[in-house]
Amino acid sequence: MYGGGNTFEGIKPDEHTGEDPIQLAEFEARIDRGEKIEPSDWMPKLYRKQLIRMIEQHAHSEIIGALPEGTWITRAPGFKRKMALMAKVQDEVGHGQLLYSAAETLGKSREEMIDDLINGRSKYSNIFNYPTFTWADCCFISWLVDAGAIVNQLANAKGSYGPYCRALDRICAEESFHLKYGHHCVIYLASGTQKQRDMFQEALNRWWPPMMHFFGPSDKISVHTEILMKWKVKMGSNDDMRNQFLDMYVPKIWELGFTIPDPNLKKDTETGRWMYTEPDWEEFKRVINGDGPCNKERLEVRRIAEERGRWVREALRTPKTAYLTPLA
Amino acid sequence: MKSLDPRVNRLPQTGSANTTPKVPLDQFGTFQVFVQPKANKPFQHEGIVHAPNLEMAYVLAKEAFTRRFTCVSIYVAETRNIHVSVLTEGDDDAYDHVSEAAQEGKKASYEIFHMFKRGKQHQHVGTVEATNPNEALWLASKQLRTEKQVFNIWAIRTSDIRFTNQEDLDLWLTLPEKKFRDAAAYKGGEKLKTFLDASKK
Repeated sequence: MYGGGNTFEGIKPDEHTGEDPIQLAEFEARIDRGEKIEPSDWMPKLYRKQLIRMIEQHAHSEIIGALPEGTWITRAPGFKRKMALMAKVQDEVGHGQLLYSAAETLGKSREEMIDDLINGRSKYSNIFNYPTFTWADCCFISWLVDAGAIVNQLANAKGSYGPYCRALDRICAEESFHLKYGHHCVIYLASGTQKQRDMFQEALNRWWPPMMHFFGPSDKISVHTEILMKWKVKMGSNDDMRNQFLDMYVPKIWELGFTIPDPNLKKDTETGRWMYTEPDWEEFKRVINGDGPCNKERLEVRRIAEERGRWVREALRTPKTAYLTPLA
Repeated sequence: MKSLDPRVNRLPQTGSANTTPKVPLDQFGTFQVFVQPKANKPFQHEGIVHAPNLEMAYVLAKEAFTRRFTCVSIYVAETRNIHVSVLTEGDDDAYDHVSEAAQEGKKASYEIFHMFKRGKQHQHVGTVEATNPNEALWLASKQLRTEKQVFNIWAIRTSDIRFTNQEDLDLWLTLPEKKFRDAAAYKGGEKLKTFLDASKK
């Protein structure tokens, strides 16, 4: 799973100028040919900076995203669901590690990234700042948040940076069961008792607004996003991703007889685009800046884990190994 | 902190509101992990792990990279023990940048890996007997180079690698039995169909 709609840092007007024109031309030609950029290649400073930011946010989202689902492992209905959810959460944490490694090849160490997460300097996907009240909330995440993540990840896997693409290929392959598992859970709730149906409908009502936020605010095309698209850092606009998600999953939700809490949601048959009530971007900003229902808890749990694990890391540490930036 | 999750509420309070930044030493070494997907397939590079030593790296690599897909064996090597050639592009072959190297020191065997395509993982292609890493690359250009273009070459001294012990090869035998990690185990179609048919009535 993954926090889509990356918030790219505002680019200062002069930030992508001042690079050596010959090296820049070679770099851009390589991307145009569809070749991947590898860690030892020359790259513009801005490319490196935005990639670190994006991959790091993705890694944090995997780690923090394990919390709202992980909390349901002990209470999952039945042994099979427990096994599956445990395997899924384990995968998410593994994906976090793969992504930290990919970001590290660009020169920021994993420990610096963890520091920045705990101290609130790095972001993660906003959707994980909401609580999972019932088992149905957990099923919503497994099915639909993962579905949104896969839309994003499949697009990003065609990006230009080799190590990130390789990590994403592996992640997408591992996630194929997450989505099927999530859908399976929801089918069982839908075809169950009235109480079970109500439970999922309520979860859907709670999660729909953050799900629409998930892909990020509508991006106005500017010179800055253009350059990130040209360098294949950003692979599609937030609106395109949101539209693709709605296209694939709204019919599946309706098929199960659930109602999506947006009276304006419908597909424009002429343009093929979905129309919907504009999500509340003020709330999105408020939550992303720390004022959501679970922001404090998520970071606090991560911080306590860090402190409680310190003695283990210290006991294992030895001067015989040296930290080296990973190769690929 | 008041959470919906009773386990979170039970966590001990650790006191400090801010975690002090990690000291620079709180940083494990990095290790490269190689996995052999099938008995007749070559080992290929899969990714990295952080670990305090080779043995722990092996254990962590097993968790991170062989939890899901069937494989027959893995090995790990510390990043600093990997000798790397130049990375080329276009139709430039990495072997064209390898020059003859003199014999210096004792002979040892080196494992050689090729990157056949930019963006793809390195693959194991063979072993050479050399006295140093530069000579290993030179010998590889004589013995292991084929018509297929190579963009990057790695050489690792065989004795720097932590291999899987013969008696541990059964570690991965049970992987195919873990069906709950398999998308095919979640067939909801039948249930969905019954549900849809019933709601039509």
